[in-house]
Amino acid sequence: MGLGIAEVLAVAGYQVQVAELSPEIFERAVDGLRKRLVRQAEKGRFTLEFADTVISRIQPVYQLDELKTADVIIEAAVERLEIKKDIFAKLDAVTSPDAVLATNTSSLSVTSIAAATKHPRRVLGLHFFNPAPRMPLVEVVLGAETDSELAEAVFGWMKQLGKKPVKVADSPGFLVNRVARPFHLEAYRIIGEGLASKEQTDRILRAAGFKMGPFELQDLIGIDINFAASVSVYEGFFQDPRFRPHRLQQAMVERGALGRKTGKGHYNYEK
Amino acid sequence: MRNSVVLIGRGPLFWEVKDFLTDYHFRVVTPDELSSEIRAVIDVETGVDEVKKHTLVQVESRIPSGVPVFTSALHRTATEIASWLKHPERVAGFSPLLLSEMTTVEISRPFQADDENVWNQCLLFWKELGKQVEVVGDEPGLVFPRILSLLVNEAAFALSEGIASAEDIDLAMKLGTNFPSGPLEWADEIGLDQIVAILSGLHREMGDDGYRPAPLLRKMVYAGYLGQASGRGFYRYDRK
Repeated sequence: MGLGIAEVLAVAGYQVQVAELSPEIFERAVDGLRKRLVRQAEKGRFTLEFADTVISRIQPVYQLDELKTADVIIEAAVERLEIKKDIFAKLDAVTSPDAVLATNTSSLSVTSIAAATKHPRRVLGLHFFNPAPRMPLVEVVLGAETDSELAEAVFGWMKQLGKKPVKVADSPGFLVNRVARPFHLEAYRIIGEGLASKEQTDRILRAAGFKMGPFELQDLIGIDINFAASVSVYEGFFQDPRFRPHRLQQAMVERGALGRKTGKGHYNYEK
Repeated sequence: MRNSVVLIGRGPLFWEVKDFLTDYHFRVVTPDELSSEIRAVIDVETGVDEVKKHTLVQVESRIPSGVPVFTSALHRTATEIASWLKHPERVAGFSPLLLSEMTTVEISRPFQADDENVWNQCLLFWKELGKQVEVVGDEPGLVFPRILSLLVNEAAFALSEGIASAEDIDLAMKLGTNFPSGPLEWADEIGLDQIVAILSGLHREMGDDGYRPAPLLRKMVYAGYLGQASGRGFYRYDRK
């Protein structure tokens, strides 16, 4: 995810420093990016020289204090609150207080991450959707302390980058992950009550205009990922029954039927 | 050929279903124009239970006992609606939402529809109209209307909590999850009264607070902000 965001910025002409844990991890990620860019160049989207230029704009660093001159830092570390808080406390100490600190979290509290810094006004969420170079949506998440003018400036910057940003107040699941919950949870309730089969539910929703029904979509997303999102939003709202996860969802995860990536989910993908 | 259909209901759904049936060369009559040659009764009345019950009972008293009765099961179970009639075995629930757009029609079977032959005759009506029939369990809102109304409800909660603007909620759901329409603009198209009827039907039948309609939705219906049909819903529309 981090390198996808770096790609968006490098394509737009920015010099990007990517903080990685080790050169091996960085090289592996950049090799993947190079292959993707070369493939796109071969399709004629841009020249091979441009692909090289984009790669050359992305440089690795292996210590957070090497980021001290950055104007904007976007964190895309693993989704664990303690790790993110630790990173933000360090970034707060090494950067100028004018630098923007953004977290690309999809489920953690921006307000809580910001509280790990001495300057929470300059902290906000920038929730890119995967894959970042192709998905135009970015949720610009305002924590309880986020400076609204700063958020406005970042919002405008996202537009300049060709993204479609939306402003969202910090809250569990932000906007998309929260409002999409019933698409999945209600589908589980319908099959759980024996009102329709999975196949029928998917067929009916496709007939109503959705590209995919909830079960085939979960197979694509990963049933474990979808279940984790359900649990996170449910806990975030102090167990409001609207967000109650479903036992059949958990049973799929317990069985290891996680969707396409395991060859088996709601549907069978084994050859 | 019995090609008259009695259509019961009001509002945009009435006109949509009327146009659909007219395109298939049915003569669409209201309960007042009822004649003896009736192919089916189609009731799209969703919310106002007294009106729905009264009209269905009146119509039934003037049609033969074998004429199928299709009733909108968005707000009540087909089983409950069938219980109002003298010949409940010819009642089928259905979803009138997007009837002309969708290649599929959702049908729910009441407990009382226990005669296979009568039931298959009922389904034949939709098959002759070229619809793929999906028979689903009998709870308010069937499948698509139930899921849609809960998406709208969550979007309405998020809007009233100040999480994002209506435009941004719709934009984000289309771009972030590939929804064909944003939930709030979709609610305006279908009618907020329909959405609240589905939610309150589920809330009543399931007794689960997960179906509690967002207070914002309720108040918009009280105020007559029903969506496109009334000129104002989550968005404003020019009325011609």
